[in-house]
Amino acid sequence: MNFKKTLLGLGVSALVLGATAAQADIKIALAGPVTGPVAQYGDMQFTGAKMAIEQINKAGGVNGEKLVGVVYDDACDPKQATAVANKVVNDGVQLVLGHLCSSSTEPASDIYEDEGILMITAASTSPSITEKGYQLIFRTIGLDSLQGPFAANYIISDIKPLRVAVIHDKQQYGEGLATSVKGELDKAGINVVMFEGVTSGDKDFSALIGKMKKEKIDFVYYGGYHPELGLILRQSSEKGFDAKFMGPEGVGNPDITAIAGEASEGLLVTLPDSFEKDPKNAELVEAFKANNEDPSGAFVFPSYSAIQIMADSIKAVGSVDTMKMAEHMRANTFATPTGDLAFDAKGDLKKFQFVVYNWHKDGTKSAVK
Amino acid sequence: MEEQVLYFVQQLLNGLTIGSTYALIAIGYTMVYGIVGMINFAHGEVYMIGTYVAFIVIAGLTFLGLESLPFIFMAALLVSMMVAATYGFAIERVAYRPLRGQPRLLALISAIGMSIFLQNFVRLAQGSRDIAMPSLITGRWTFGSPDTFEASLSYMQVIIFIVTLVTMGALTLFISKSKWGRACRSCSQDLGMTNLLGINTNNIIALTFVVGAALAAVAGLLLGMYYGVVNPYIGFIAGLKAFTAAVLGGIGSIPGAMLGGILLGTTEAMTSAYFSSEYKDVVAFGLLILVLLFRPSGLLGKPEVEKI
Repeated sequence: MNFKKTLLGLGVSALVLGATAAQADIKIALAGPVTGPVAQYGDMQFTGAKMAIEQINKAGGVNGEKLVGVVYDDACDPKQATAVANKVVNDGVQLVLGHLCSSSTEPASDIYEDEGILMITAASTSPSITEKGYQLIFRTIGLDSLQGPFAANYIISDIKPLRVAVIHDKQQYGEGLATSVKGELDKAGINVVMFEGVTSGDKDFSALIGKMKKEKIDFVYYGGYHPELGLILRQSSEKGFDAKFMGPEGVGNPDITAIAGEASEGLLVTLPDSFEKDPKNAELVEAFKANNEDPSGAFVFPSYSAIQIMADSIKAVGSVDTMKMAEHMRANTFATPTGDLAFDAKGDLKKFQFVVYNWHKDGTKSAVK
Repeated sequence: MEEQVLYFVQQLLNGLTIGSTYALIAIGYTMVYGIVGMINFAHGEVYMIGTYVAFIVIAGLTFLGLESLPFIFMAALLVSMMVAATYGFAIERVAYRPLRGQPRLLALISAIGMSIFLQNFVRLAQGSRDIAMPSLITGRWTFGSPDTFEASLSYMQVIIFIVTLVTMGALTLFISKSKWGRACRSCSQDLGMTNLLGINTNNIIALTFVVGAALAAVAGLLLGMYYGVVNPYIGFIAGLKAFTAAVLGGIGSIPGAMLGGILLGTTEAMTSAYFSSEYKDVVAFGLLILVLLFRPSGLLGKPEVEKI
């Protein structure tokens, strides 16, 4: 009996010790897809965040405490995202970088806001995430409501297509973008002949391509991710359908070239500015390369900035008090590798610049506007 | 007018291509159901593994500098059929045979478990990203003029038709003429009686799994080469569609699986063509419900009393 009590006592003190040991660090949950079809976007986010944590720790940490990034896998699945959010709450983590897919970020953000956890997403672009009047939800990336009109503007002024098809993957991100692009094109009097959804995960788009061919489509805007668009491009070239294609940042990664091969030549992609090309960031790019990591992904630098803003805010407020941090974030401008960032009342960036890129068949891209 | 006809033909060809591969996968479901009366939910995963193996063989042979296309194709076909057949055999041995004679629900749950296991096993071994392969066989025939509508038929589509037809023909011959085939038919009529007559039914059931898995690997190779991508999740949707095709044609009936596959593929293509691709699953599964309402045992299925 006594022995058992001792054991129990030991166990409890070990728990307490464990808890205090953990207190010395500031944990940041890095939530995004580690697995699943869009895991490479998760990698971009983790690469940027881990680099920021590494450099901040090397410079002495935050108020003498070290930052620790803990990766949570939501597989870009809304159900798993809420499970991750609950786990973050149970683990007592106060800060979240993530999630990645808008459809995951949205349900998770409800939980974070309720539990007083500060969340910054560096990748989710759906406008509705910041439209609920939440106090603790921020993002360091542009919105679909900016990206859509930006893409539409380019189509209207530079491409001037005659017959347009707008295709999307029926998901929050893709359909949101497609709807906004279609709205702008309609307003400008451009003839949008087709507006259709495809099923994400599908492999056969031959019927859709046949239809676009029959409708004499000369320009296709696709709202969605690269696995489907890659196949659409590949099958289009196999079937002799040679319209110009355009997509959002969700299609802009080297995997689209792996899937579509030569058919990816000439694809237009709207992406955030290539921060890794900015001379100011040369040193940081070297640091990524020294770690054998690729700094060129669209979400690497926004993730870096998000972590840096968290660290700066903790320093300014003096502790991990998420409400005070949020106030500080809204009131100040932060000098980050993605530019001087300031947040509006909703938690969105006041200014964010997209660029139109021309994709090449070797997986590289060049800016066109 | 001519344009409309060409467009219809084009969509019909698209539908037939996808339909024939549904049929190849559906046969695995239908054969197993016909004999043991259970749904092998892990079958879609065998198709996925078949695609992976075919990719690995093709990549390996190309890397070794082999350029003979027919040789690469045959090697990939044989190796992926053999590996998939081994999986089929092992799945039956590990997940279903120990549960023979138990309530059917147990085997069903075991099948779903097997499916999840295989999917995650491949995910861990191969990564969860899409693996892409350049097209080996390119080129197409075109009909009509580019001014109105130009229908196209790719060499790969023709290969899919031919391989599917040959495989189906061989299977039909095997079932109707060979000794093993007769044993299979006998098992599907009455498993207990077949056993009494001195046929080792365990072997016949294992054979069914092996043949079904090998056919799924054929589909895996064909679709892998046609679409050029594979990821660990392709088995789920393909399995679901093939299962639907099997039920549509009458589960347990091999000609039914073929008919069901073709019907499902063309329905999907025609819905995308004349309606909207958003509704292709709605129409395809709506058709399934309609058929089941009026012919509960499927188009070619024999109405029969519940088996024991």
